[in-house]
Amino acid sequence: MAKVLVIADIKQGVLKGSTAELLSKARAIGAQTAVVAIGSNIESLVPELAAAGSDTQYIADDASLDLFSAGPYAACVVDAAGQFGASQIWFGFSESGKAAAPRVAAQLNAACATEITDVIVDGDKVEIVRPAIANKVVQRVKVNTEQLVAVVRAGAFEAAADITGTENPVKLSIPAADLKAVIKEILSDASGEIDLADADIVISVGRGAKDQAGVDLVKDLANDLAAGFGSSRAMVDGGFMAHNKQVGQTGKIVAPTLYMAIGISGAIQHLAGMNGSKTILAVNKDPEAPIFNVADYGIVGDLFEVVPILKQEIKKIRG
Amino acid sequence: MSPLFMSFLLIVGLGIFGRTMYYKLLLLTALEPADRLNHITDRIKNMVVIALGQKRLVGRKKEWAAGLMHSLIFWGFCILLIRSLNLYGEGFVKGFQLPLFGQEYILGYLYIALKDIMEAIVLLMVIYAFYRRLILKPARLHNTWEAYFVLGMIGVLMISDLLYDGARFNLITLHNNPTDLHFFNNPQFGPEFIWTPATVKAAALISFLGPDATGYVMGAMFWLHIITQLTFLNFLPLGKHFHVITSLPNVFLKSLGYPHEKTKLLDLEDESVWEDESLGINHIHQLNWKQGLDLYTCTECGRCKEVCPTYTTDKPLNLHDFNDTLKAELFENSANLIQRSKLAATLNPDGDEEKNQAIKAQMAELNSKKALIGEVISEDTLWACTTCRACEEVCPVTIEHVPRIMAMRQGQTLMAGVYPQELNTALKGLERNGNPWGIGYDKRADWADGLNVKLMADDSNVEYLLWVGCAGSFDDRTKKVSAALVKILQKADISFAILGTQEKCTGDFARRVGNEMMYQMMAQENIETLNNYKVKKIIAACPHCLNTLKHEYPQMGGNYEVIHHTDFINQLVTSGKITLNKSLEGSLTYHDPCYLGRYNSIYDQPRTLLQSISRDDLTELDRHGNESFCCGAGGGRMWMEETIGKRINVERSEEIVGKNVNTVAVGCPFCLTMIEDGMKELGKEDIKTQDIAELVAKNMA
Amino acid sequence: MKILTTVKKVVDVELNIHVTNGAIVEDGLQYVINAWDENAVEAAVQLKENSGAQTTLVSIGGGDNTDMIRKCYAMGIENGIHIEDPALAKADASIYANVLKKVYEKGGYDLVITGKQAQDTDSGQTGIMLAEALNLPCVSNVISIEVMDDQHIKVSRLGDTGTEVVEMALPAVVTVSDSINEPRLPAMRGIMMAKKKKIDVMDLAGLGTSADEIGCSSPKSEIAEFMESKTRKAGQKFEGDAAQITAQVVNLLATEAKVF
Repeated sequence: MAKVLVIADIKQGVLKGSTAELLSKARAIGAQTAVVAIGSNIESLVPELAAAGSDTQYIADDASLDLFSAGPYAACVVDAAGQFGASQIWFGFSESGKAAAPRVAAQLNAACATEITDVIVDGDKVEIVRPAIANKVVQRVKVNTEQLVAVVRAGAFEAAADITGTENPVKLSIPAADLKAVIKEILSDASGEIDLADADIVISVGRGAKDQAGVDLVKDLANDLAAGFGSSRAMVDGGFMAHNKQVGQTGKIVAPTLYMAIGISGAIQHLAGMNGSKTILAVNKDPEAPIFNVADYGIVGDLFEVVPILKQEIKKIRG
Repeated sequence: MSPLFMSFLLIVGLGIFGRTMYYKLLLLTALEPADRLNHITDRIKNMVVIALGQKRLVGRKKEWAAGLMHSLIFWGFCILLIRSLNLYGEGFVKGFQLPLFGQEYILGYLYIALKDIMEAIVLLMVIYAFYRRLILKPARLHNTWEAYFVLGMIGVLMISDLLYDGARFNLITLHNNPTDLHFFNNPQFGPEFIWTPATVKAAALISFLGPDATGYVMGAMFWLHIITQLTFLNFLPLGKHFHVITSLPNVFLKSLGYPHEKTKLLDLEDESVWEDESLGINHIHQLNWKQGLDLYTCTECGRCKEVCPTYTTDKPLNLHDFNDTLKAELFENSANLIQRSKLAATLNPDGDEEKNQAIKAQMAELNSKKALIGEVISEDTLWACTTCRACEEVCPVTIEHVPRIMAMRQGQTLMAGVYPQELNTALKGLERNGNPWGIGYDKRADWADGLNVKLMADDSNVEYLLWVGCAGSFDDRTKKVSAALVKILQKADISFAILGTQEKCTGDFARRVGNEMMYQMMAQENIETLNNYKVKKIIAACPHCLNTLKHEYPQMGGNYEVIHHTDFINQLVTSGKITLNKSLEGSLTYHDPCYLGRYNSIYDQPRTLLQSISRDDLTELDRHGNESFCCGAGGGRMWMEETIGKRINVERSEEIVGKNVNTVAVGCPFCLTMIEDGMKELGKEDIKTQDIAELVAKNMA
Repeated sequence: MKILTTVKKVVDVELNIHVTNGAIVEDGLQYVINAWDENAVEAAVQLKENSGAQTTLVSIGGGDNTDMIRKCYAMGIENGIHIEDPALAKADASIYANVLKKVYEKGGYDLVITGKQAQDTDSGQTGIMLAEALNLPCVSNVISIEVMDDQHIKVSRLGDTGTEVVEMALPAVVTVSDSINEPRLPAMRGIMMAKKKKIDVMDLAGLGTSADEIGCSSPKSEIAEFMESKTRKAGQKFEGDAAQITAQVVNLLATEAKVF
């Protein structure tokens, strides 16, 4: 039986949804599950970590682990993996995950795969599926080593509604800090803003909004729906939206339940960042805009007219 | 009169003049060479029509009155040249007459009549000129003291000669000719003065003077005239009036390469050229002598500024200042350049190599170190140009502005490596995927899916190659134009094919921004493809492609018959292959694209088509035809940000909106984009911007 | 400071990629420098211009990389190494990391700058694995590099909660994001001069190692097959009265897509 160790995705003390998604998939392939949680003041998360679907929780809780540092992070994972006897080690999609996973793999002399969208276990054989060449092709990759370290693509797995687990915390020893790479400070993204990566609904604004007034109009809708507020590259380049709001190939890749592209033409780079979304709604003045080629529902119209109506209509339905 | 004094005046006056001219010419010979003595007959024709005929002045509808004014002053001068020679003769020998111009010949009488009336006319024109400068104050004129001084001198010349002759008239007819002055009195033609009414009028003004006073006046006027004339002559080379001497040669020597001096094909493989930094024009010593002559010849009339789309929209490209600044820089380096040229003459290719190197080092020392762009001309000035050629079209002395700007851009791009960085995306796109948007080359033929268009790769045995261009292949709006054009060609049953994914950008914009390397790369690849398919005739859907394929590819071995799609469609109509319906409703105007009109002289064909499909008569924009106003995208500006002044496309769109039309027709994908965007920005999307192909396809039988 | 930067030749992602019989159709494809590596090269050249660093690039595999390497020379890189060996045909990130380790050890560098991922694999592992193999500090997704002194650099990275500012002790490895800079277009003059520059081409033996030592004979993972991505199909598009169609769509979102 496979043993999957999931690295819990904890941001600013909050357990993120990807953890449950990964654990659900682990259960689905019939594996034993465990999580490793690394950070500071996270012991209180044990019940939640169990409820997400893990039967053992490896906890590395220390003030020195408050800020992400790849070295110690990877060391904790390797420790937990060793204790658990993990055959698969899965990271949720995050910058920390992407930075730590290759280290873990190198230390364990294991295969490493990033951006995976599926894991296929057939007895001893393990294969993963992942996109490549800017999402234009899909690779099926055979894993030759006994262990696999993977980073899972955003939204690839679905959280099972009825998942449960057992509380079984194990304290990990705290590794030494990496003195050769020391975080001096974090210039945080506007805190309190909804993280695009886990929002259920993401609403992005594009060049069609023209200026701050337009951006504010769309932001209003996002606030109304408690949705993540993202942007096309054009609006970031134009200075209307912050860097970290860019949805796209070179920005954030999101896969929410509902993605609204407002005033976005649908350049390939943007599509690469959101075409994993479950449902896509597009609003654009130009009936020929490429976004309509991938949108499930397209409204051809002026966003200045449509967005207020959207707000109204959705309010009617949601109450 | 007084041979001694006359000799003195002539020796001094002509001597100083000769010396000044010598150094001015010597400076030109010290500049880079240029081949301008080919096709003598064409050159003479240009000179006669443009310079002597004052075509761009009196032949220009706009400011026709001012044009006539100058033309009359100029023609007056030419005619009065003979009179001047006569007067010089008079200074030596009393009653001197040039052969054939004496009283024995009708020519003599005709001439004195002509001279008389011309002097009056020129005087009137001078007064008008003063009035224009002082009272009307047209914006384009530079109201310098120099202008008034010269006008004043011309006035003095006319007045002095009229009064001289007037005094003569009085002495002869009123005072019984006490000093026995010579005058025409051929019994066949009558006395001189019945042929010279202006002189008689002038005489009346001073008739109150007694014989002695009149005699003094006559003498004074004579010497005033001679001295003014010699002063005038010597003043000419010092300022804008140098054009009086240099304009005829400048027009004679103007480029015959259509539409202007072709960009020289640079040998980029030659390493010495990179080491010597001699590509393009980065320093004043790299100008060629014709460019130097251009600088001499600027008359400061300001017509170039008036029609320049960048100057009109407050960008820092002021062509007059550009010329003037370069001229000042040239003169500042005059001594060094002449010295350098003298050293060059001492080089002996067969002699001592070390000695040659030493001379070359000395020559290098005399080169101007000042970087033209940055230290003399600002970068914004250089890159603002859209290469529309409106300036060249209206310049009365045919100064070649655009080639000079492009050569300076070459210097910046190739040698200094300094150019607007926004161009990088477009240049990289060109290199990798053959189009400035950088879209995968494999999608270049996608626009034709389902349209049943033949690819050359499948069957190259067709009559025409349809050159679609980057916009027509990749730009969503322009793809519709390509589709419309295909519809028309298929209706007319024309045998054609497209290159599809084998087509690459012609390289037009790369050349316009000075990137000869990229241009040559694109040209070479395209020419190879075209020649492999043995292409003879090309229909081009874009005037920039048209221009490059037709006029610039021959330089690199690509010789094809290239025709613009509007020209071709017109031919289809004339030959009956397609029929048009007069079914287009609403008012209509046409925006002449720069590269179709000024660069390729296609003005009528689009209009004929539009008149055939439009119910309403075609409304003309004020700035139309060869004085059409640029949309702002040429010269590589399509790929650069426009951050200074008013947006050129908005300026043009406002003009179109002012005509209250329903549709504006264009013949170029850049114009289509720019004007459509302009309408959007003005909130006037109800005015439809359409390519002629689209309009024809919709109104075809 | 001696800088080593990695440069990979990848397929031009602007093109359509077709798959037949589980393999990518090579016909019509063109290959270009990995965009993120271009950023790495630019970062190295900027450090050369600002801090007087010496720069070397290394490229692994790809066949004839002359054009690509010359373009990097034209951008300002001073030296170039190309490791080409048939054994590397199916190399993965850990194999690349092992080769780079050999190159690093041969040259003695202070800073390794790689792109954060390659456009063909989108893996993002090689740089980090190299750091692990060399036991060097590594920061990935870097958006700025500042030299503090000849032993330390300060980098900014795009992390999960914000921009992290990290002080690193040299020698170190850094993988860069495309937000770090805008790679210059190689200067025309640079291109001409680059034609004369040498490229150090060698196989694994020339590097002083072997296929076995690098791990080529026992790859940790292998690509079993390629498939074309499922393209999303266009859904329903509504035109007309804004109020009407918007209400219609919201209704569908609730009843059909079940998102509300």
